[in-house]
Amino acid sequence: MRSGNFKQNVGELIALTDSKSVATWSCLLMVALIGAPMVLDAHLLGLVTVILFTLVGALGLNILMGYTGLVSLGHVGFLVLGAYGYAVTVGIHGLHPLLGFLMAGIVPAIAGVIVGAPSLRLKGIYLAITTMAFAFIINTAILEADFITNGSSGIFLPRPTMFGISFKSDAAFYWLCLFFAVAALAVTLNIRRSRIGRAFMAIRDNDIAAQSMGINLIAYKLLAFVMSAFMTGIAGALFGVYLSFVTVEGFTFHLTIEALAILVVGGLGSALGVVLGTILIVLLPEITGVLLSLTGDAAQEVMATKAFEVRNILYGVIIIGFLRFDPTGLVGIWKDVQRTWVNWPLKY
Amino acid sequence: MNIKSLPTTLGLVAGLLLGTATGALAEQQGITDTEILIGEVLPVSGPPALLGFAHTLGVKAAAAEINAAGGINGRMIRIIVEDDGYVNSRTVEGVRKLLTVHKVFALTSLSGAAQGLTVLPLVRDSGIPAISPIGIAEELHTPLVPNIFVVGSTYDAASEAIVRELSALNPGKSWGIIVQDDEYGSLTHQGFDRALADLKFDVAYDDKYTRGQRDFSSEMLRLQASGAELFMMGGIIAENVGMAKELERLGYDIPLGSSFVGRVPAILKLMGDAGSNLYATDYVVPEQSEKGIAFLEKLSGFLTEDEMAATNRYTFTGYIAARAMFEAISRCGAEPTWDCTIEKLEGLTDFETGISSPVSFSADDHFARLELGLMKANVDVLAFEPVK
Amino acid sequence: MNYLIQLTATGIAIGAIYGLIAMAFALVYKSTGLINFAQGEVAMMVAYLTWAFAGQFGSGLIGVAVFTIVAGMVLGLVIERLLIRPMMGEPIFSIVLVTIGLAVILRSLVLLIWDASPHPMGIEAASELIRIGNLNMRAGQVFVIGLMGALLVASWAFFRYSRYGIAMRAVADDDRTALLMGVNTARVQAVAWAASSTIAGMAGVCFAALYDISPDIYSIGLKAFPAAILGGLDAVLGSAFGGIIVGLIENMTGGYMSSTIKEISGFVLIVGVLMIRPSGLFGQREIERV
Repeated sequence: MRSGNFKQNVGELIALTDSKSVATWSCLLMVALIGAPMVLDAHLLGLVTVILFTLVGALGLNILMGYTGLVSLGHVGFLVLGAYGYAVTVGIHGLHPLLGFLMAGIVPAIAGVIVGAPSLRLKGIYLAITTMAFAFIINTAILEADFITNGSSGIFLPRPTMFGISFKSDAAFYWLCLFFAVAALAVTLNIRRSRIGRAFMAIRDNDIAAQSMGINLIAYKLLAFVMSAFMTGIAGALFGVYLSFVTVEGFTFHLTIEALAILVVGGLGSALGVVLGTILIVLLPEITGVLLSLTGDAAQEVMATKAFEVRNILYGVIIIGFLRFDPTGLVGIWKDVQRTWVNWPLKY
Repeated sequence: MNIKSLPTTLGLVAGLLLGTATGALAEQQGITDTEILIGEVLPVSGPPALLGFAHTLGVKAAAAEINAAGGINGRMIRIIVEDDGYVNSRTVEGVRKLLTVHKVFALTSLSGAAQGLTVLPLVRDSGIPAISPIGIAEELHTPLVPNIFVVGSTYDAASEAIVRELSALNPGKSWGIIVQDDEYGSLTHQGFDRALADLKFDVAYDDKYTRGQRDFSSEMLRLQASGAELFMMGGIIAENVGMAKELERLGYDIPLGSSFVGRVPAILKLMGDAGSNLYATDYVVPEQSEKGIAFLEKLSGFLTEDEMAATNRYTFTGYIAARAMFEAISRCGAEPTWDCTIEKLEGLTDFETGISSPVSFSADDHFARLELGLMKANVDVLAFEPVK
Repeated sequence: MNYLIQLTATGIAIGAIYGLIAMAFALVYKSTGLINFAQGEVAMMVAYLTWAFAGQFGSGLIGVAVFTIVAGMVLGLVIERLLIRPMMGEPIFSIVLVTIGLAVILRSLVLLIWDASPHPMGIEAASELIRIGNLNMRAGQVFVIGLMGALLVASWAFFRYSRYGIAMRAVADDDRTALLMGVNTARVQAVAWAASSTIAGMAGVCFAALYDISPDIYSIGLKAFPAAILGGLDAVLGSAFGGIIVGLIENMTGGYMSSTIKEISGFVLIVGVLMIRPSGLFGQREIERV
């Protein structure tokens, strides 16, 4: 067992983790994820794909809410802008998908500046409401701007082909999502350790104190919005490609709640937490399906027609349950388990 | 080895290792010696369940009717319903599951218009025979998709028909129209515009509302102030009810046109007397017609009392789609395949279901356009009856 | 001219419903400093309970009114006891998230217990037509305007004269000092939740009686948001006026501009108000000390 943290050169300081086992396991996990399409059937592969692009969006929200402490109830607005940014570029104008992904990040990022501006004046609940209003306004704006967006007719999105690689097959699209998820995770993990990340967290903990330490509140709050919107927009584009058809109807307010649930369940402000939260929330319907199939016929009868209601109630119960009994979320539980494992049979 | 072939090679190796892929391909999925599996993806929970559940009842009745008569060439029909709650991402998941987990033989619903579009690439690439009677989007049939068939009528055709019919009944009268701010609304408006281009009536009022709106006081006031003498209500259920009641409050009693989408008994119950001047066009017969009564009588043999209470026009459309699909499968004889089923569907001409005009497909047209008939609400019995 | 009068009258009627919900928002905010994101859902739940009650025991007006009040109070107290009080001392945002979770649960519960189709509320008296001058109004519309007026007076008197009202103002001002002064803050908050749910419930029942009951009527909560913000989140009476203003703005934009603008006018208003005067028209300006 290690007796302390000893850094002997710069390389060790820069490394994301100093634990050999964490690095090994991460590599193994990576290999397993890359090989997953060979083993999983189409349904399971679809689920893992959903987990991956949801993770990108959730990590985006985490930068804003988890790191910077700015509450957004309008993240679905960035998601829909990202999907449209990609769809308009690729689906309507037929430009290169790479440019599409770029636009999927840039368009929401610009909106992020606009939505972020009130955050300089507003705090907490008031900011949450402004962002929520933004989400509603953006939907109407997209419908009204039908000369750009096709309005209510929606846009068809073929799976992209980039650098000679076609992402048409489910496996290839899965790898594309995997790439973006890993990239998003790397960005999130590294931001934390940079000047930017430390400034974000200082703002979260006490913005007035942060300001007095010389952190430019305006710049960093806007930066948080921009980065968060950019990542969420990419997730929106992936979501759009996954659905292969983009309309405003596909992006309901419910997605915002789902994203909040992911952060709360996983543990706010922790990348690992977001990963765990995403897995749990995306798999929740499957889990409930399995659980209820174990019960009697009466429950199955309910499930036949009321499956989504039962699932939504579970969403609510899980959100409230974690807030009430374990605010640190799954990542807190994971840490507790780890500690118990290492120290057993001693308490600490 | 280039990147493209890597996945295939690895996939092949994995497939061989698991020993599944090669064996399963040999026989047609979804068919055993005793059963044929039919899949549907539909909203059976949440507000749109009003249409989704009614549709499943129609398919269920059609299957029960065939099964009672010995099934399709001796095989019983079993139906698997995946609930999508009218949410596009769930529709994708549902179809995926039907195709790969349940391995169904055919699909008798692709959910609503936007949902159908979402799963279009998935269904097209799989090659499974599918028929969709709800929310017919143009892309489902034009350009032709080899394995997708649609039956019914489009929103724009329905709205054009009602405008033409009501104009014929009330010549020279001016129109007002309000539509929803989505695809359904814009199609409704297109149909209206086509009738307008031909008949050249006056349009006194033309507006668009946001989905989910409940209070129509200002809109209906504008309609009244505009002096429109006929009104095309482009809402679905709650919206049309809100408008009709508001017009009743204003004491503005004019003929109201509506599409088949919300033509369900619930709307008349909600409207009360405000619905006494409500017209609609539909491609299935109204409940209060001879054929409608006979059909409901037949249904009651296959459905429970609770289920009968949940039937509406979508039960009729579901029945039509299911019957057409089952007919094609049965024409394939003892060993039905996807290709054969598609071929037989294309060969289906003047297929009678008794509750609509005959269903006909052809090799270059997979859209069976059914005739639209005018009907009027009867608020006393909460049902629609034909207009002579 | 008649056109304008019509627009105004119906605008005030729908505005009164928004105003009632906005009052419910403000009551909770004033006593606990949090926004109840489940306010619309609470209104819907009470409406559904009342609908079930009326279907079972008949739709006599007095019975329905008494049941609405009781159901609202009980629901408010249960929520406060089970979900809000245990969260005391947690960051405000956590409690707000709890109410979001509650909103999701209530929405699904309604679908689980009842069904997804719209139904007539069954209170015939509400849809009867009343002729005032040369305009027709539904009895329910007139009633809800009257109800709003009555509640305005009642809550003014409550905050001015009653023990609880004064205690509530004290808690809103500074809950620690109030606690030190012997105010039972927990009980004050319970009363606030009960009152808030009751008022929201009344609004829900009125809305359902006018526009039928269906599982999407929780959206009146979203429409009332702008009203509460405009009036000032901590101003109970101000929020009510905010409701009327939002109702009027909606009807004027709908009557003179277009219907799609009408539906988002409220949200545009929120952004505008928050940018210019975050504390609303009647709210107290927040001063932050370092």
